[in-house]
Amino acid sequence: MIDQYAGISPKGDLVLLHKLGEKLYNKSFLHINSTRAGGGVAEILHRMIPIIKELSINARWEVIEGDERFFEITKKIHNSLQGNVENMTEDMWEYHYEVNKRNAEKLDLEADAILIHDPQPIPLIEFKKSGKWIWRCHIDLSNPIEEVWNHILPYTQKYEAAIFSVGKFARAAGIDEFIIPPSIDPISEKNRELTDEEIKETLHKFQIPIDRPMILQVSRFDRFKDPIGVIKAYRMVKKYNDCILVLAGSPATDDPEGEIVLKEVQDYASNDPDIHILLLPPFSDKDINALQRSATVVLQKSLKEGFGLTVSEAMWKGKPVIGGAAGGIPLQIIHGVTGFLVHSVEGAAFRIRQFLNDPHMAKQMGEKGKEYVRNNFLITRQIRDYLSVWYAMENKGKNILEV
Amino acid sequence: MAQAKEPFEFRQCVSISKSTGKKAKNLRELRDAIATVSNESIFHHTHQYFLRGHILEYTNDFAHWAGESLEERILSEHLSNIDPYAFKNIDELRQELLHVIDVYLENFPEPREVVAGAEFYFKETITLIFPVGLRAKNLAEFLIAIKYIDVAAIYYHFYEARVRLGVDDFSRWLEDSLNKKELAENIRSIDPFMHSIEGIRERIIEAVEKDLRKEMEAIEP
Repeated sequence: MIDQYAGISPKGDLVLLHKLGEKLYNKSFLHINSTRAGGGVAEILHRMIPIIKELSINARWEVIEGDERFFEITKKIHNSLQGNVENMTEDMWEYHYEVNKRNAEKLDLEADAILIHDPQPIPLIEFKKSGKWIWRCHIDLSNPIEEVWNHILPYTQKYEAAIFSVGKFARAAGIDEFIIPPSIDPISEKNRELTDEEIKETLHKFQIPIDRPMILQVSRFDRFKDPIGVIKAYRMVKKYNDCILVLAGSPATDDPEGEIVLKEVQDYASNDPDIHILLLPPFSDKDINALQRSATVVLQKSLKEGFGLTVSEAMWKGKPVIGGAAGGIPLQIIHGVTGFLVHSVEGAAFRIRQFLNDPHMAKQMGEKGKEYVRNNFLITRQIRDYLSVWYAMENKGKNILEV
Repeated sequence: MAQAKEPFEFRQCVSISKSTGKKAKNLRELRDAIATVSNESIFHHTHQYFLRGHILEYTNDFAHWAGESLEERILSEHLSNIDPYAFKNIDELRQELLHVIDVYLENFPEPREVVAGAEFYFKETITLIFPVGLRAKNLAEFLIAIKYIDVAAIYYHFYEARVRLGVDDFSRWLEDSLNKKELAENIRSIDPFMHSIEGIRERIIEAVEKDLRKEMEAIEP
């Protein structure tokens, strides 16, 4: 499998992966998160685990189980850590711990390195048996509700290290904190090259016309992704340029709020026949790929963002991208070079019009974006970084390591 | 074609960033943090700036932040003029950064704070160095390799080598192992601050091709 990345990923990343595979030969690497489907974390784990196994490292992926109440609580924790006020009670924290305790009894937690993804399974550290435990936080912790963070902090401090996606997300918890951006997989169904027939098939299935420019946003129906703001921007553009808008998203099992937001978006879109709201089932990767490849301009107008990997996905397809200046989006979009960063609905509308009216600039930015993703946001780089952190932890105290 | 006394072994480095937990939202906080952060952090924000696809207007993260986030153009120009390779050690470089900021604070009105989210975050790195499995035994092999190696390998031999040896690895090898003094001099004259790494690659290719062409056209007595 790893050979398939030759000629796509930078060669040095592949060489280092093999070298780290030799150093960590036959050791075990356990990943734990809270959903098998939906969202960027699950998606990347699906792709990453087989590649790590191929490097002769025993990689495993476990998912904690929880009921509706648990996921309502963890959604509140998630929102609060991103700065939204939520009402968290003491018994909710107890339930969060209890569900993790039940999971700890069922799961095999023995491994040489254990990566716990996000706050849902963070209490598992209390049931540590062996190995190096690392908390992998994918969300923006730069401005959390302090009270909620103060409940998470004691768990964090029991880990040996934490990994954040962006420097400003880190929280100075007194442990080693590494910065590793997430990534996309260039050979996955979501990002591989498609034939014209495959693209047409998707557009036909969703009855999306191809006679006008398409503005696209792919994301969960979540207020932080500002789908209403996207419709507002589209309406501003529509006064000057004829175009259609496609909002496409998949539901996630750990996001009970998704349905409410979807309803709000549908109501706001009203009966505009040029707005296509697509609720895609999980694993609609090929359709998302086809939509991204059909788009004229891709938007990710997030107000808060973990990282916003849909930005890299669109850039990898050579598309001009407009992103909200939130979370990890500014790391992917170098303003005016690999796309445009915007701070308002008006800004988004203005940049969409610029791209629609200057296809040459749109093409150039798209090409630069693709190269930028190749060097910085492919899965091989992320695996390289995870293994490097693990290897660095095995060689603690050294800042320069010869591999 | 002349064979090298020693082959050139291509290596590259990869940096994993670590948060130091320190940040600055205004120039005074930046100054105070520069005075106290680790040498590794100063190294990361100055020398390793070139590894990250830098914007040519700036030569280090401090200048970049002063220009883009503080929007203090004069300060960013002064900070960009600091050559990190001109100092014997990181502490001397640190003193120069502090000096430039202090002079600025004395002579200009105190800059405003940056908008939320645009703070300067101090980082450090752990660097992994490894051979990429490529060796050049003569100038033609060297040329092919330069064309296709990753930018991180060019960074390691062209920039990072200056910290280790005071000079880039390429020109040293060309002079010591291939006796190519003029070519070595041409490569040494490439200004490391005025090009992206891809730009450095292009200039090395140009210099080597010129030398190879001369060698091919020479008539053996």
